[in-house]
Amino acid sequence: MYLFDAEIIENRRLADDISSLRLEARPEFVKAGSAGRFVMLASADERLDPLLKRPFGIVRCGRGWFEVVIKEAGKGSRNLAGLRAGVRVAVHGPLGNGYPELEKDGRPLVLVAGGIGIASIASVVFSRNFDPAALLFGAARAGELVLLEELKKTGGGRLEVAAITDDGSSGRRGLVTELLEEKLEKWSDARVFACGPGPMLQSVQRVLQARGVEGWLSLENRMACGFGVCLGCVQEMRAGVRAKVCTDGPVLVAGEVVF
Amino acid sequence: MTDLKVELLPGLTLANPVLTASGTFGYGREYSPYIDISSLGAVVTKGLSLAPRAGNPGVRITETACGMLNAIGLENIGIERFLKEELPFLRDSGAVVVVNFFGNSQAEYAELAARLDGVDGIAALEINISCPNVKAGGIQFGTDPGSAAELVGAVRAKTSLPLITKLSPNVTDIVTMARAVVEAGSDALSLINTLLGMAVDLQTGRPVLGNLTGGLSGPAIKPVALRMVYQVVQALPEIPVIGIGGIVCAEDALEFLLLGARAVQIGTANFIDPRTAIAVIAGMDKFLSARGYEKVTDFIGTLKPGR
Ligand SMILES: Cc1cc2nc3c(=O)[nH]c(=O)nc-3n(C[C@H](O)[C@H](O)[C@H](O)COP(=O)(O)OP(=O)(O)OC[C@H]3O[C@@H](n4cnc5c(N)ncnc54)[C@H](O)[C@@H]3O)c2cc1C
Ligand SMILES: Cc1cc2nc3c(=O)[nH]c(=O)nc-3n(C[C@H](O)[C@H](O)[C@H](O)COP(=O)(O)O)c2cc1C
Ligand code: FES
Repeated sequence: MYLFDAEIIENRRLADDISSLRLEARPEFVKAGSAGRFVMLASADERLDPLLKRPFGIVRCGRGWFEVVIKEAGKGSRNLAGLRAGVRVAVHGPLGNGYPELEKDGRPLVLVAGGIGIASIASVVFSRNFDPAALLFGAARAGELVLLEELKKTGGGRLEVAAITDDGSSGRRGLVTELLEEKLEKWSDARVFACGPGPMLQSVQRVLQARGVEGWLSLENRMACGFGVCLGCVQEMRAGVRAKVCTDGPVLVAGEVVF
Repeated sequence: MTDLKVELLPGLTLANPVLTASGTFGYGREYSPYIDISSLGAVVTKGLSLAPRAGNPGVRITETACGMLNAIGLENIGIERFLKEELPFLRDSGAVVVVNFFGNSQAEYAELAARLDGVDGIAALEINISCPNVKAGGIQFGTDPGSAAELVGAVRAKTSLPLITKLSPNVTDIVTMARAVVEAGSDALSLINTLLGMAVDLQTGRPVLGNLTGGLSGPAIKPVALRMVYQVVQALPEIPVIGIGGIVCAEDALEFLLLGARAVQIGTANFIDPRTAIAVIAGMDKFLSARGYEKVTDFIGTLKPGR
């Protein structure tokens, strides 16, 4: 992992409270920034307010840059989302384990995203080829279904895409786990990657366990350090084991997390 | 170049006065990809208990204005695993190691001290007395001078290692606490531990932390820490004091030294950037060299009278 100040190359608004930041990065960083890994970010000014860096998934990397997608949840995320191109951001990363490299054995891959969990899930679509694959995306309302068009384009014919919202504003109303149940009805040998709020991951885990489907969950526990020293992010796991979400995760094996 | 060496205690000279605070530096190993941990004044370990501890359930951290609250609940791997799995690494790294420890009872503290006594590679012990005394209905050892003194006395009897007592700021009179533990045999003092605080979430109508309350750290507590260090140094000028609380840069650290602290510890700032302590050492040298100090000890305790 690396520690550096990066200039914002571009800040693009994707929704009322969701922005995409493209940041400078060195080649070593880009090489290490595989799907599901994250960075800790803070404005590089010396005000130290907000004090701690905040964790964000690496959505994609290109030559000399990487992208994060930030939903404004509070002070830290709002501050970052408000920074303009040219401003410098302090970066620590890539951190965490990322999604496992799966064998290309023809089994389908189902990607499940809830809300801003799409940032993590999108990194899989942007960096890996799976055939067949499906992206199931749930959000509160249509406006929060960010990145959808780009993901469709990247996935092309290999990636089925379905969206669902709490208020029905995108067409279908309901929870993303309904889409998952339906998909697994057809693809019983699929493997699943999921990222979203705790309650959603809990439901996904239940569905996978009930069907005996293999899967991985990317958690978003609060973090102070991101590199395994504060023990703020610790997640209870099966058999009395505890995982540090920042270093053992954020991607943990479904079925083992105790919500 | 200013000579940054400080004699913390007779027989314990540190290369510089910058230590890392317990619970913010893991067992040292986690920082070695970022910095040379042997170039620190010393590494203070995560607080250790006799048996491993799971810590608190629920949300454990939240940021507050210029600080953070933590309710980790003293999660740690326990003394035996530390000695077997972590201490050898620290020893091989060449770092000066201070072991921070705590217990649920006086007997546990004493047993820990006995277990650590004579172990190769430990320079000093730091007793965390900000822990509930189960026998006394959960009142913290660190808030009652009587039980704190008794505790330190019991630990003192079990070890020949230098003993640093880490004081809790959650008291009415810090000097009374400092005196009590020094009279009971503590060689040095470190202060402050976190200030008890709380955060509530208006959206959910609930406390933010799973444990309801937590310890406040970071820049928000620096003025409280400076005041307490000042009071203790004034009252007990012969006793080495290590200043802790809200240090993020060399200037913050120098403020504690100016008041008379013989060394400092850096806590929360390590989370923001794992290289902070190294930057503080460099910044300290730069500041003192620019002002012509040959030795950092010529600067320590040079606070002028107020006007
Ligand atoms: C590994 C990881 C990857 C992440 N990736 C992304 C990403 O790509 N894009 C993105 O927008 N966000 C992501 N998050 C979540 C993001 O880090 C938090 O939303 C952010 O840190 C909140 O900080 P704040 O100062 O804005 O909010 P705060 O002021 O700290 O909190 C505002 C509100 O958000 C809630 N909150 C705070 N932290 C979290 C959290 N970790 N999870 C859920 N709720 C929280 C609080 O309860 C509060 O109600 C990720 C988190 C982790 C751990
Ligand atoms: C996450 C966290 C964990 C801590 N754990 C311990 C501990 O195990 N033992 C201890 O004596 N102090 C512990 N502390 C207190 C620090 O060592 C230090 O006294 C305090 O944070 C104030 O310094 P700071 O403002 O530089 O962080 C902890 C602090 C934090 C933030
Ligand atoms: S965020 Fe600090 S240990 Fe995981």
